[in-house]
Amino acid sequence: MTQNAENVLDHLELFRGPEYQQMLANKRALFEDPRDPAEVERVREWAKTPEYREKNFAREALTVNPAKACQPLGAVFAAVGFEGTIPFVHGSQGCVAYYRSHFSRHFKEPSSCVSSSMTEDAAVFGGLNNMIDGLANTYSMYKPKMIAVSTTCMAEVIGDDLNAFIKTAKEKGSVPADYDVPFAHTPAFVGSHVTGYDNVMKGILEHFWDGKAGTAPKLERQPNGKINFIGGFDGYTVGNLREIKRLFGLMGIDYTILGDNSDVWDTPTDGEFRMYDGGTTLTDAAEAVHAKATISMQEYCTEKTLPLIAAHGQEVAAFNHPIGVAGTDKFLMTLARIAGVEIPEALALERGRLVDAIADSSAHIHGKKFAIYGDPDLCLGLAAFLLELGAEPTHVLATNGNKAWAEKVQALFDSSPFGKNCHVYPGKDLWHMRSLLFTEPVDFLIGNTYGKYLERDTGTPLIRIGFPIFDRHHHHRYPVWGYQGGLNVLVWILDKIFDEIDKSTNVPSKTDYSFDIIR
Amino acid sequence: MSSLSATIQAVFDEPGCGKNANKSAAERKKGCTKQLQPGGAAGGCAFDGAKIALQPLTDVAHLVHGPIACEGNSWDNRGAKSSGSALWRTGFTTDINETDIVFGGEKRLYKAIREIIEKYDPPAVFVYQTCLPAMTGDDINAVCKAAAAKFGKPVIPINSPGFVGPKNLGNKLAGEALLDHVIGTEEPAYTTPYDINIIGEYNLSGELWQVKPLLDELGIRILSCISGDGKYHEVASSHRARAAMMVCSKAMINVARKMEERYGIPFFEGSFYGIGDTSDSLREIARLLVERGAPDDLLARTETVIAREEARAWAAIAPYKPRFQGKKVLLITGGVKSWSVVAALQEAGLELVGTSVKKSTKEDKERIKELMGQDAHMIEDMTPREMYKMLKDARADIMLSGGRSQFIALKAAMPWLDINQERHHAYMGYVGMVRLVEEISKTLFNPVWEQVRRPAPWNVPGDSWQDKAIAQMDAEAAALAADPVRAEVARRSRPVCVCKNVNLGTIEDAVRSHALATVAEVKSHTNATGGCGACAVRVEEILAAGPALVAAE
Repeated sequence: MTQNAENVLDHLELFRGPEYQQMLANKRALFEDPRDPAEVERVREWAKTPEYREKNFAREALTVNPAKACQPLGAVFAAVGFEGTIPFVHGSQGCVAYYRSHFSRHFKEPSSCVSSSMTEDAAVFGGLNNMIDGLANTYSMYKPKMIAVSTTCMAEVIGDDLNAFIKTAKEKGSVPADYDVPFAHTPAFVGSHVTGYDNVMKGILEHFWDGKAGTAPKLERQPNGKINFIGGFDGYTVGNLREIKRLFGLMGIDYTILGDNSDVWDTPTDGEFRMYDGGTTLTDAAEAVHAKATISMQEYCTEKTLPLIAAHGQEVAAFNHPIGVAGTDKFLMTLARIAGVEIPEALALERGRLVDAIADSSAHIHGKKFAIYGDPDLCLGLAAFLLELGAEPTHVLATNGNKAWAEKVQALFDSSPFGKNCHVYPGKDLWHMRSLLFTEPVDFLIGNTYGKYLERDTGTPLIRIGFPIFDRHHHHRYPVWGYQGGLNVLVWILDKIFDEIDKSTNVPSKTDYSFDIIR
Repeated sequence: MSSLSATIQAVFDEPGCGKNANKSAAERKKGCTKQLQPGGAAGGCAFDGAKIALQPLTDVAHLVHGPIACEGNSWDNRGAKSSGSALWRTGFTTDINETDIVFGGEKRLYKAIREIIEKYDPPAVFVYQTCLPAMTGDDINAVCKAAAAKFGKPVIPINSPGFVGPKNLGNKLAGEALLDHVIGTEEPAYTTPYDINIIGEYNLSGELWQVKPLLDELGIRILSCISGDGKYHEVASSHRARAAMMVCSKAMINVARKMEERYGIPFFEGSFYGIGDTSDSLREIARLLVERGAPDDLLARTETVIAREEARAWAAIAPYKPRFQGKKVLLITGGVKSWSVVAALQEAGLELVGTSVKKSTKEDKERIKELMGQDAHMIEDMTPREMYKMLKDARADIMLSGGRSQFIALKAAMPWLDINQERHHAYMGYVGMVRLVEEISKTLFNPVWEQVRRPAPWNVPGDSWQDKAIAQMDAEAAALAADPVRAEVARRSRPVCVCKNVNLGTIEDAVRSHALATVAEVKSHTNATGGCGACAVRVEEILAAGPALVAAE
């Protein structure tokens, strides 16, 4: 039955109809020179072998299914966390469309970001005119309070000098002379999205603290009791930053969140379009220089930012995306020490509840093997939590992880008996992971949406934690930090474990003797 | 057909029960069940007892006649396993409403039975009475009778409304219903000299299936299991078995005894928990069958299987020894299981630092002493505080207990493993013991316990409630040690009979001043043992210590 107006079928069902199936089969048989199915099957099986794995790991030039994104994506992520700020990406337009769609698909929110729309002539003669026109148009059309400029590869390759370009644009009247246009060079051919986040965060702080590219006096630090907080590139930023604010509130700490994008990516539907919402105010960003200390939740997202802050005389502390009891303990105790406050009873209770929840159900996780991939800090946080639960993070892989990161993961393995047979894979991709899952199978895979192909091919159930998550909705609204966040991660893991038990016991009269309502 | 109250009376007067046989006529009349304490957090009701005893019958439609409360809360709540029909898992209830209360619910019940038979055609429908229709006077016996006649299908009334008593009574009433209406109503297709019944086994987590292959190997056929993985026709024709094993004595002793009485089927009380117990039970089954005329080569074949399986089990447990080096276990559980798992735990290299004897008989206690030596810690009643202290002093690394102690164990920060009913693993038979050891290993090395025991790292040492409790206990102990008078007061105030609230001092005084020599005398003077009777063993011990007491004067 072809499509019928009386009963319109979705693509899921429509193309299963006999005439479509026939059409596709004919096309395959008559025009596609089909391979012998036995041969296809042989190769499919061969790709599961240790022999293939060896070849796979010997790859030198090709990356297949990378688990990382580019610097400008991180740049945009950081920039939208400031009040009324529009990210301005100097370079080609297509790149910007990617960032916007990426974030929109993950957060289910519009993502505003502009481009200087460089074309061939700009590539040849330089992008100065695009910068001048772009800044002027952005300023007049979208009325931002700040334009945060970053770059794509194209602008970087031809060597556009952002500092000089922005200066020239101001001279030409694109934006007022005292208007805030911080910038950062963020080429995609260096690092990954976490690097881009770092560069833009550093660029914005430098702008406000160190004299706005020579147009204002440098700020003189007058230490106060405030604490700055930097979340880093984080798919759970909406839930996490709100949780962090709650924690700071409970502890009675005066704080500034630098790059607070929790509102702009979670705007209410009430008839008003908010191109900008919430965010760190520009005043707060500037005054953050006076803070007592800065806490970074993700070390590898702030490798350049923290030294800049430390150089201004603040104490800095970095964590690796702490998840779970011990991680949160360490985070809160550091916070309490720096701020000189006590940890309130309310948090001791939350801690106790998380421990209780773990004790109630850890028997189901204990001894299970997991493969994890994601950003370096997230991998560390998840692996530490799994070890805490008595699970084995057998494969830990980060395409954007480096040698230092690998050593840190190895040290984590060494700290627990459950880390004994675990391995870390820096700079590897998801095709490597595929070989790992075939040759050294695990019980569960933790990763982003792209892990669903691995789940399909290897049969390893995927627990979706990471960025981006395109095919499940709203998880980004829940925190993974704090004791409450640990509870969420625990529940996501357990849900999948129980789903799998149910799935393997649901055949009537065959396996359903164990299809129990109590687990 | 006898009235409900007559049935209950008859069930109480159970000659198969040793405890009952020792009671006076008046006591027997009062019944063997502990009166529930108003205001106490007591267990389930008679309806629940009946339902859990029969629910594992897999191909029967279990219809609960009552408001949604009864089936709504008990639907599919036990982990019994079925090798065939899943009908037992379907929740059937008449879900009665106000109109039924006012005008009676018999018609609704009748229609519900009809609809079940029309839609599901089960071999039988079991109708469970509940409090409300029992109070408003719905006669389920009559309805079942009428329905059975009309539809030509067994419709069995299970007359055990919640208010008649506790869960244990419900188990027995369920047994009575089987005896009255089911057992002996059909004939098996064929019989063999190797047919047995297993009574009071529920196949939780499928654990019976861990033993069944051994019986199959020996050619022993489970004619009927009441009720785990049971089928209606099997129970109906179970009267042709040659012998029976009774697994959970408290629950179904009336069934085993009456089947012996009516059909001459001898039974024994046995257990498949523990390696030695499993062997003993297999031996006993073989012995009874041979006595009833089975070829006596069965005995030798049974010994061969036992030798092989025991060797296998011990070999499987041996590798755990190094892991368990120096690990100490505290066993908190009732009765039989206390000693039946002890041997396996010891074989795995675990050191037992204590076991509860709250529900154990004198024989149980003797067995424990045999296994653990004279200085075994036998814990009558342990408070969570004492449990915590035991752990804290590194005197125990893990506690094995029933589900009810789970939360105490967790709050007392004690690694804990469930060995009673709510468990999700099957511990029955030889493989079951290996599984238990495996689970102990997993639990012992689960990192969560370290987490649980550790207070929040920002806590000031000595400031947690655990530290305070320990300090308080230590202070109390020190004060008592320093003050013999207070120590004596504390010793004498320990409760012996919880039901009648009689402490040790009262009993000692009575024994001394009236020169009492028997439990019955102690009871007439102090009321102790006048409730559930479980403390009779304690009283006997006090009496046994009597001369020493007098000598110490």
